[in-house]
Amino acid sequence: MAADWILWPILTFPVLSAGLCLTLHSPQRILGAVAFLGFLWALLLGAVAVTVMYLGTLSAARHWLTLDMLSSYHLLIFGMVFGASSLYARHYFSFEIAHDEFNLEDGRKFGALWFGSGTAMVSVLLCNNLGLMWVGIEATTLLTAFLVCAHVTPLSLEAMWKYLVVCSVGVAFAFIGTLLVAASALELGLAAEDTLLWTVLDGSAERLSPGPMKLAFVFLLVGYGTKAGLAPMHSWLPDAHSQAPTPVSAILSGFMLNAALYCIMRYLPLVEGATGHLGWGRALVTLLGMISMVLAAAFILFQHDGKRLLAYSSVEHMGIIALGLGLGGIGTFAGLWHAMNHSICKILAFFSIGSLGQLYGTHDLGKMAGAMRRSPLWGLGFFVSVLILIGSAPFAIFMSELQILRAAIHQEAWVVLAIFLAAAALVFIGALKLAIAAAWGEEVVVPRTQSSSIIDVLLVIGALGLLLLLGLWLPTPLHGMMESAAQIIGGRP
Amino acid sequence: MNHPSLIEAVLVTVVLTNLQLLGSSRLKICIHMVGLQGIVAGLLPVLLDHEANPLRAWLLVVGSVAIKGIVFPKLLLRVLRDAGVCREVEPFVGYILSLLAAVSALMFSLWMGSTLVLPQAPVGTTLMAPVGFTTILVGLLVIITRRKAISQVIGYVVVENGIYIFGVALVGGVPMLVELGVLMDAFVAVFLMGIAVYKISREFDHIDVDRLNRMQG
Amino acid sequence: MDATALLAPLAALVLAPLFLGIINRTKAFFAGRHGQPLFQLYFDLQKLLGKGATYSRTSTWIVRGGPIIGLAALMVVVLLVPLGGLSGLVRFPGDLLLFAYLLSMARFFTVLAALDVGSSFEGMGASREVFFSTLTEPTLMLSLAVLAHQSHSLSLSSALGAVTVTSWLQHGTSLVLVFVALLVVCLAENARIPIDDPNTHLELTMIHEVMVLDHGGPDLAFILYGSALKLWIFASLVVGLVLPVRTGVAFLDLGSMLLGMGLLAIVLGCIESTMARLRLLRVPNLLVGATTLATLALVLAVR
Repeated sequence: MAADWILWPILTFPVLSAGLCLTLHSPQRILGAVAFLGFLWALLLGAVAVTVMYLGTLSAARHWLTLDMLSSYHLLIFGMVFGASSLYARHYFSFEIAHDEFNLEDGRKFGALWFGSGTAMVSVLLCNNLGLMWVGIEATTLLTAFLVCAHVTPLSLEAMWKYLVVCSVGVAFAFIGTLLVAASALELGLAAEDTLLWTVLDGSAERLSPGPMKLAFVFLLVGYGTKAGLAPMHSWLPDAHSQAPTPVSAILSGFMLNAALYCIMRYLPLVEGATGHLGWGRALVTLLGMISMVLAAAFILFQHDGKRLLAYSSVEHMGIIALGLGLGGIGTFAGLWHAMNHSICKILAFFSIGSLGQLYGTHDLGKMAGAMRRSPLWGLGFFVSVLILIGSAPFAIFMSELQILRAAIHQEAWVVLAIFLAAAALVFIGALKLAIAAAWGEEVVVPRTQSSSIIDVLLVIGALGLLLLLGLWLPTPLHGMMESAAQIIGGRP
Repeated sequence: MNHPSLIEAVLVTVVLTNLQLLGSSRLKICIHMVGLQGIVAGLLPVLLDHEANPLRAWLLVVGSVAIKGIVFPKLLLRVLRDAGVCREVEPFVGYILSLLAAVSALMFSLWMGSTLVLPQAPVGTTLMAPVGFTTILVGLLVIITRRKAISQVIGYVVVENGIYIFGVALVGGVPMLVELGVLMDAFVAVFLMGIAVYKISREFDHIDVDRLNRMQG
Repeated sequence: MDATALLAPLAALVLAPLFLGIINRTKAFFAGRHGQPLFQLYFDLQKLLGKGATYSRTSTWIVRGGPIIGLAALMVVVLLVPLGGLSGLVRFPGDLLLFAYLLSMARFFTVLAALDVGSSFEGMGASREVFFSTLTEPTLMLSLAVLAHQSHSLSLSSALGAVTVTSWLQHGTSLVLVFVALLVVCLAENARIPIDDPNTHLELTMIHEVMVLDHGGPDLAFILYGSALKLWIFASLVVGLVLPVRTGVAFLDLGSMLLGMGLLAIVLGCIESTMARLRLLRVPNLLVGATTLATLALVLAVR
């Protein structure tokens, strides 16, 4: 196809940007470059996603790079998350520069790793070869590890160590799974170059050997599940998310988890095809989803730290998406939709808590009382985004959760339904209690002041508006894209 | 040139390095064992010789032996020296229990290898996949039961070695690009973990992972 | 019955004390001493047999019987054990088990006698002896199982007799593992360095020697001769394994085996001279390591 060449610039652009960040001589300039280039790249990604939306699958390098509806939908989410986070990073670190907490060396390291991890995440989406997809996931761990401890403190080192070890080992399991998938395809007699190409495997999923494929899927679920923060493999997640600088937390929560879930989505049709569409793989995914929801709800109830609250909320929402995938049918569509809604809302929540945290010098929600008056913009952003996250109508998250519930009812999965409702209710109570206390409450006097630019206002308004819009009206092309993506995973609406 | 007895010798060496790794109390010996394991495991593709392209196999062997057999041990020894840590392993689980666990892991892997209907691996002995799996389990055991952060890096390398053997046994031919990517990732991971251990030792004055527990809930 | 069948047991009964003598001379050489005569143990035995014995009033017949039963059991074992290609005097399917159980019986009575003496030192030695033997016995059995599996025979003589150059070429790895395991068992069972030091006189660090402190006269002679026989038995297993000379000509086989035994004695002397005794707490590590080696060998063999 004529537009195939476009896959190359979206990979080379961030690499060049990373290089550029290393050559700049002042932290302000680096932040400017990050904001400008990051936003530009996001626009480019958006354009590519729209191209796929209208033209269909793009592929290059003899099908080793492929962008179909599923991956371009995720590319769209990534574009939004990365663009917004890049803009926000400038605001966030400018405050640190003003307080002498961020020097040139930090800036260069941040800029290079920021674009580097972005490249890794996009390459996960672009690689049609399942082995290279794994390489991409592992690369995101390695590149973001040092972003987590951008400020070297005992706590951030501890978080980084756990993140590095748990995710590396977890993802190693995923590689065992990948090898087993290749083994299950041995009987197809493929050439070595084609062994792990997803398009080839998907085309003959029914002929993969079921035994190794089942074993493979267990390993893959544990491996990528670790990276996606599904309980009970989530132990690294709250630490890493709460210690990382806020823009990094936003991109970890907003897209990196989704990238790992995306890998699981790729394997679902393979395992379902190999085991005769009996729902064997889906059942496992559903189980993990439920465990994640319940565990996250329990931890949210007793949480005081705002960023940890959001981190556990990510565990919960990853669980919800997994539930959607596991239920199948309309649930798959709803899960995909939920992924986008969650990412938009979660980055807004992180931006708000990050700015409030800078203002108050802590992320403890109990010490953040009166945030709404202290900083109307971020206070509002935090409060409303938490409201949306816990599922308030008529925002998009409420709508997608409703769709997942519909799928559960449709499948007559009453246990899933009950657990979903119970966990959601717990989260609703726990999070709302904390958010109200933080937003209103007795105002705490703090010495620091903070200025907000027009971009910050646009970020908050834009995210909230988008969430409201998506809740009320889903544009037809986007809807079509999500439906085709759901069909790729195997959900038939 | 398919050498069943040589392959067997290599696999036995791998198992013996695993045992020595679990049984020895010196971090230095552990590091040397990991290096030895990397070298002998790296030789497997040429011994198997089911490669249509011998050049490819040799390239892979040179790459993995250089990284796993030479670079990793050098790096780890350097970290050990720079971090200035006590050279004892200090496991949570005793040496004898670890050894017995390793033997049980081997038994389990063999049992699994015999019951599980894996598609006929291209070539190689029936022992290869179980030994690979055992090595993975031993690596996990090292990660879980050892106190020093550097032991976890060692355990990670052992897991990587195990996956490598497992992969050679199971699939034989994964595309070159993927192999190189995996090797590259392992290299960077160990490199970063080494830096992290060093930073932890600077910041905390120790590298005991059981004392890295400030964040809870 | 073939007269050659008498060769192995006769060699054992006559040459066992000499084997110890060679080890001691090797150790003396490493230490730069002239050392005791090669035949010292024969002189000692002669001297001890000529002495009378003293028994404590609190001890029972077990103290008197222990050394005799122990020696008798070991002498029966000698009848079973082949010397490389020369099979033992007695052979039947299943004599592997008899072999192991007779060894345990000898140990059992030594331990009982040590306990019966009533000294706390000897009780301690007995406890250690029993503990370590629980770790060596599985190793011994697993190693013998490997040999039995490879020869498809449950007789010690046929199992060792089947070890040839071809079997080393075919199952080299597992035989190497068995060799190492058996060597460790040999060192441990016979209270040699690095597990125990036969020369030490610090009761707190001893295992075997401390059990026999209160024996004297003919009893001690039986015990000393018994230990020499035991060392010979294990050494002949090891040599039979590593020297796959099976010509079928009796005197050629015997000559090569005796040469092998001499070499092994020198090797053991070297090991004892160059290594330090392990800390008592470390000994189990070594023994369990040997067990794992034997397990691995069995796994390789049965696969």
